[in-house]
Amino acid sequence: MAAAPTLVAKGLRKTFHGQQVLKGVDFEASPGQLIVIVGRSGCGKSTLLRCLNGLETFDEGSLSFGALTLQGPRDDAKTRALRANFGMVFQSFNLFPHLDVLGNLVAAPMIVKGMSRPEAEEIALPLLEKVGLSGHARHYPGQMSGGQQQRAAIARALAMAPKVMLYDEPTSALDPWLVDEVFDVMRKLDAEGMTQIVVTHETRFAREVAREIVFMEEGVVVEKGPPAAIFGAPKDPRTVKYMSRFAA
Amino acid sequence: MRLSPLLLLACALSAHAAPAKTLRWGGDSSGGAPFVFQDPKNPAKTVGFEADLAAALAAELGLEPVFVQNQWDSLVPGLKRGDYDVVINGLEITEERKAEVAFSDPYYLTYEAMTVPKKSFDIASLADLKGRRAGTLKGALAERLLGDAGGVTVVGYDTQTMLYDDLANGRIDAVLMDHPAAVYYGIDARLKNLPGQFGRMAYGVAVRKNDAKLLAHVNEALARLMKAGKLREIYERWGIWNPVMAASFTDTSGNHAEPTEYANYLAARGVKLGWRAQLAKYMGYVPLLAKGAVTTVELSLLAMSLAVLMGLILALMKLYGPAPVALMAGIYVEFIRGSPLLIQLFFIFYGLPTIGIKLQPFTAAVLGLAINYSAYEAEVYRAGIQAIPHAQMEAALALGMTRWQALRHIIIPQALRVVLPPTTNDFIALLKDSSLVSVITMVELTRVYGMLAASTYDYLGIGVLTALMYVLIGLPFVRLSRWAEARLAVEKRPRIS
Repeated sequence: MAAAPTLVAKGLRKTFHGQQVLKGVDFEASPGQLIVIVGRSGCGKSTLLRCLNGLETFDEGSLSFGALTLQGPRDDAKTRALRANFGMVFQSFNLFPHLDVLGNLVAAPMIVKGMSRPEAEEIALPLLEKVGLSGHARHYPGQMSGGQQQRAAIARALAMAPKVMLYDEPTSALDPWLVDEVFDVMRKLDAEGMTQIVVTHETRFAREVAREIVFMEEGVVVEKGPPAAIFGAPKDPRTVKYMSRFAA
Repeated sequence: MRLSPLLLLACALSAHAAPAKTLRWGGDSSGGAPFVFQDPKNPAKTVGFEADLAAALAAELGLEPVFVQNQWDSLVPGLKRGDYDVVINGLEITEERKAEVAFSDPYYLTYEAMTVPKKSFDIASLADLKGRRAGTLKGALAERLLGDAGGVTVVGYDTQTMLYDDLANGRIDAVLMDHPAAVYYGIDARLKNLPGQFGRMAYGVAVRKNDAKLLAHVNEALARLMKAGKLREIYERWGIWNPVMAASFTDTSGNHAEPTEYANYLAARGVKLGWRAQLAKYMGYVPLLAKGAVTTVELSLLAMSLAVLMGLILALMKLYGPAPVALMAGIYVEFIRGSPLLIQLFFIFYGLPTIGIKLQPFTAAVLGLAINYSAYEAEVYRAGIQAIPHAQMEAALALGMTRWQALRHIIIPQALRVVLPPTTNDFIALLKDSSLVSVITMVELTRVYGMLAASTYDYLGIGVLTALMYVLIGLPFVRLSRWAEARLAVEKRPRIS
């Protein structure tokens, strides 16, 4: 995969209904990284992820990716330019239910990039194969299992050729025996050198696959480092307390 | 090829334009005999002494007579709008009307006559009506006479048939109507005409005030017809020549005609038919009803297409527009939804011309229905769009789509399935509401029913036939909607694992 620029977020602040959910977050993702963000529900990790691709605006701080820099709360054109570099995978898949799997994959390339259907399919079909859904092109989302849907959603995001993939609790809505098929796809992408940022509660995945763990609490990044350090020898007492639940 | 609704509208309009070299005369053929009505034996034909007069006048003027149907109490506004050149339909020459339109010399002189139930013996004069219910046509001179009598409950009707039917059925105590009407309707076995003559009135041909040339021509033609005895002949054939006219018209011809039309009318009325003949009679009405049905369908399809388009735009304005735009859309919806369709139709058809916007009846009908229904559609689509989870919008945005692209390709197609049943519902409702456009001179299915029923006294049989036609028109659209709904229900397909 072509060398992607480094994603840098500085001092991100965000207030929701008078409550500050991001209190000055610094965050960095260099190319080919697989970063897992962990923390309690409500710590701001999902908001951070959504700020990165502009689904959520931030009040203060800056976000830069290569030559593009987004500052302050709102700039629609820039947000869209920035967003073109990111693929997003949601907890509830959010496939388009009125389109079949192939239709889901070709929609954005055709609508946004103006590709013809054959051009878009040329991109989509290998992606379906990559996520193990070759036989499912003509199936509708409602006909498939959660694991299959989430893999289709990953393929749909990849069809726009993003440089960074963002995952917002991608396996939380799945039955336990379906979790691995999704993680396997993410492992495969990691091996190909894709930059991936994952918000998840699955510590096994975080431990085994992540290159870096970011621990957040109450709107700030408390501690970050390699899994072994964060899980094995956390320094900050807040990290210690959080990790103690996972002590093997 | 995609046909825009506006293009279709334009095509439909050109088909409704009137040819040149004609005398377009307005009247209400559901008003009843002997003025202007549908021939009971051949319902496609408009007959009556005024139809004969219009034909005679047109012949004198070297023009082709073309009948334009309009509701009786809207005949003057329709004339002012220019929907026809003259009104020839029992329009009494009054000071109020003279302020609005110009009248020719009188072509018919008459008086009001009172009709009461056969068993009624205590009504002989207007004064006897005190404390009772008396009926007449809406807007007729008799309405004022009854009002002036004091203490009379005046009941206004749209058609003579209904008026005299209600008297026979005992819903009113007396009818005060122009003498010709009494001649034709008071002969019911359950009714009797009283001998008294009330008031004096003259019918005139109404012409627009700025049409002085036409008025002069009409007056000359009338004078020639009178002198030649043609006018008297028409009235005698219809059995409505009276002494008032004999004294006033300068008819020196000495002609006398037999009341053949009156006899025909009585014969048609009195006939009792077997079920076969009855069935054949109803089959005879079908072509005329079908013609009305075609207008109803044209009108409804065009109006609904426009309403859907406007409704969608309004819904998007309300949901995604900046605050002032959303507010405007909201006010439009509440205002249009909150006021009666009938008033909107009158406003568009008779109101707008006063500020210079004059629409053809068909255009006005389509627009009126479309504007009214767009408000309902807007709310249906707003709800439909809101029923699609916000996550769908986010997913589309995350893939790089603009908000509009997401709406057009992701949200609206999904909302379509949600709104299909309520939209079909609204279409069926519009199909039936389209009957209201008969108030703006459109002859559609319900108006045809009114005209046929008024001339044949058959509100029951023709009513059933008409209702059946509405159902039959609606059914294919219901089936189409079900089919589309099933096709769109992709998420209901069986799971593969």
